[in-house]
Amino acid sequence: MSWRRKHLIDVDDWEREDFELLLEQTSNMDSILDRSIKKAPALRGKIVVNIFYEPSTRTRTSFEIAGKLLSADVINWTASGSSAAKGESLRDTIWTLEAMGADAVVIRHGEVGVPYYLAEKLKKASVINGGDGTHAHPTQALLDLYTAWRELGSLDGKKVAIVGDILHSRVARSDIYAFKAVGAEVYLSGPSTLMPTDINSLNAMYEPNIAEAIEGADIVYMLRIQRERQDAGLFPSLDEYHRRYGLTDKLLGKAKKGALVMHPGPINRGVEIASSVADGPQSFVLKQVRAGVAVRMALLYLMLGGVKE
Amino acid sequence: MKWLVNGRLFDGELLREGLCDLVIDKGRVAKIAPAGRFVPPEAATKIDLDGRIIAPGFIDLHAHLRDPGQEWREDIVSGSRAAAAGGFTTVVAMPNTDPPIDRSSLVRYVLERGQSAGAARVLPAGSVTKGRRGQELAEMWFMANEGAAIFTDDGLPVSTAHLLRTALLYADDLGMAIMEHPEELSLTKDAQVNDGPCAARSGLKGAPKSAELIAVERGIALAKDTGAHLHLTHLSAEESLEAVRRAKEDGINITCDVTPHHLTLDESLIEKSGYNSAYKVNPPLRSERDLEALWEGLADGTVDAIATDHAPYHLDEKDLPFQEAASGIASLECAVAVVFDAWLKRGKPFGIERLLRLFTAGPASVLRKSDLGRIEEGSVADITALDIGRERRVEAKRWESKARITPWEGSALCGWPVMTMREGKVIWVDGDGGLHAERD
Repeated sequence: MSWRRKHLIDVDDWEREDFELLLEQTSNMDSILDRSIKKAPALRGKIVVNIFYEPSTRTRTSFEIAGKLLSADVINWTASGSSAAKGESLRDTIWTLEAMGADAVVIRHGEVGVPYYLAEKLKKASVINGGDGTHAHPTQALLDLYTAWRELGSLDGKKVAIVGDILHSRVARSDIYAFKAVGAEVYLSGPSTLMPTDINSLNAMYEPNIAEAIEGADIVYMLRIQRERQDAGLFPSLDEYHRRYGLTDKLLGKAKKGALVMHPGPINRGVEIASSVADGPQSFVLKQVRAGVAVRMALLYLMLGGVKE
Repeated sequence: MKWLVNGRLFDGELLREGLCDLVIDKGRVAKIAPAGRFVPPEAATKIDLDGRIIAPGFIDLHAHLRDPGQEWREDIVSGSRAAAAGGFTTVVAMPNTDPPIDRSSLVRYVLERGQSAGAARVLPAGSVTKGRRGQELAEMWFMANEGAAIFTDDGLPVSTAHLLRTALLYADDLGMAIMEHPEELSLTKDAQVNDGPCAARSGLKGAPKSAELIAVERGIALAKDTGAHLHLTHLSAEESLEAVRRAKEDGINITCDVTPHHLTLDESLIEKSGYNSAYKVNPPLRSERDLEALWEGLADGTVDAIATDHAPYHLDEKDLPFQEAASGIASLECAVAVVFDAWLKRGKPFGIERLLRLFTAGPASVLRKSDLGRIEEGSVADITALDIGRERRVEAKRWESKARITPWEGSALCGWPVMTMREGKVIWVDGDGGLHAERD
């Protein structure tokens, strides 16, 4: 087994084999989570720094747990409580972290492309994108893929419907790529005002009518709706949004029987998803969270410990 | 006195047959004759062009020299030297400085600083409105008397149609054009890239081409209405070119320019480069199709000039992640080569005379300066010597300009200026260009 990638910035340059290798590796890590003592020594002596410029509890915690379960030392560097508040540039901050011996830097940032910038500036440390603006959220896509793969097996020919604010969603962008790479068909739905103008370049089918978009779907993936999009005038009200695009039990009936309902969290009950669906038997939201830990363990292992040069 | 020998002379319209010799005296072209026909006076300094092109000094209609007020980015001295080293003998300095160039005293400041720098001629553009605030007309007549070359609120469009209409009428009385930066701002708020595939795949806010077209059409309607001369700068979209083409066919008094970067770079480079901020500019890099449309515009005469929109920044403002980096491309010292290199690589899609006019007679007519952009006996001795076969790498660290980031860094380009002369004085020579000449 070999892993040739130093950084994880996006999955848009991954081949199908890369995804498959990661899924296998995640499966191994997943079994560690079932043990009574969930700790492996693989990354002892490695330092992973989480540097989060946007508030994120779940992604940061997930990386932290993943690193700790593999015995890495995980440090959280939150932007508000650190040099960022003193006006230090990003470049100086990450050079500082590298000088302190970080082996990997997990970065969450509100701006597109920041992880590329870091990867170019860092000399030794690996960069892992924990979400950059509206651009990419590769670990979310990988955990979504793993959740679906574990439940459904091969995803070849499976239909995935992603519904909501595609325009502002880094999750959607990464998920489209990941699901398509392993053979699934991806449909997008939501009002046109929440779609990119050049939607064709996303390489997925767009169907504004949600009932048709999720017809026969194996996976219904709902995106979080931010209130500020209403303030920006992109749709008239949360109530109208929920009536048009909210996932209810009735609507879910259009999908394939037993279809997986997924969501990157945190969910807005009564907006993009009805509580009855969120809490219902088809909801995979908590399984996604667990998969997140396993996937991040697999990634850290492959990137920091998997290959000896 | 100088004696330029064995040059291929482009006089502003045509490339003369055979080689020519020129005598330059008292800042003017004293004599033009076929090579070897006459012996010049003893005192003349001889410069052998050895078959290189002698063209009227190139004119850049649009550069940001950042002076006064933002001298950490550029100043008039570094900017005018950069222009000279880029092959330009005249550069129009944009007025979006701090304070904006909106009154005669500031016009005089720019002219005097430019004069003392001893490099390319710096012509100040005055702002259309006081403080560039888009509310009241600036004192254009005072500025024109002091030497302003054109008026623009560049960086922003003139705020309202009413104000643009008034400005056009007022400037027309002075025999001058208004230069408009065409952008409908309500469509470009927070925009970072073209509203195309890159915007779709990154989620970066896209500026649609309609934002440019709406402003272009507004300008055309007002130019038609007033009969006054409107110049549209840095056009980037196929649709804008089409609108200008139609307007010209209808006899409307419209001119336009395009930039070297929109002629050679497209939006796909942003993703390919991992969101490298060198490619961040406004208007944004567009699609390959738009780029082709700009070349069609050069070929059929829709475009009057190539202007750099040289926008220098300090490294600390530009070497940043894409979204927070300043918007603008610095190019004064490679723009000519960027364009000639592309023209050569495209297999010379139109005659070289047309391309040369876009740097000479074209911009001169936008500025309504009949004494620039041509070479004839008696004309001002502003000369750019060009070596179409010269290959050189772009190295921003060696620039006169203070900018250190450019999209062409490291590119080997073919077709460089090798000497610039302003009013008979050599203001720049390419030391490795094979031309034996001394800077005056």
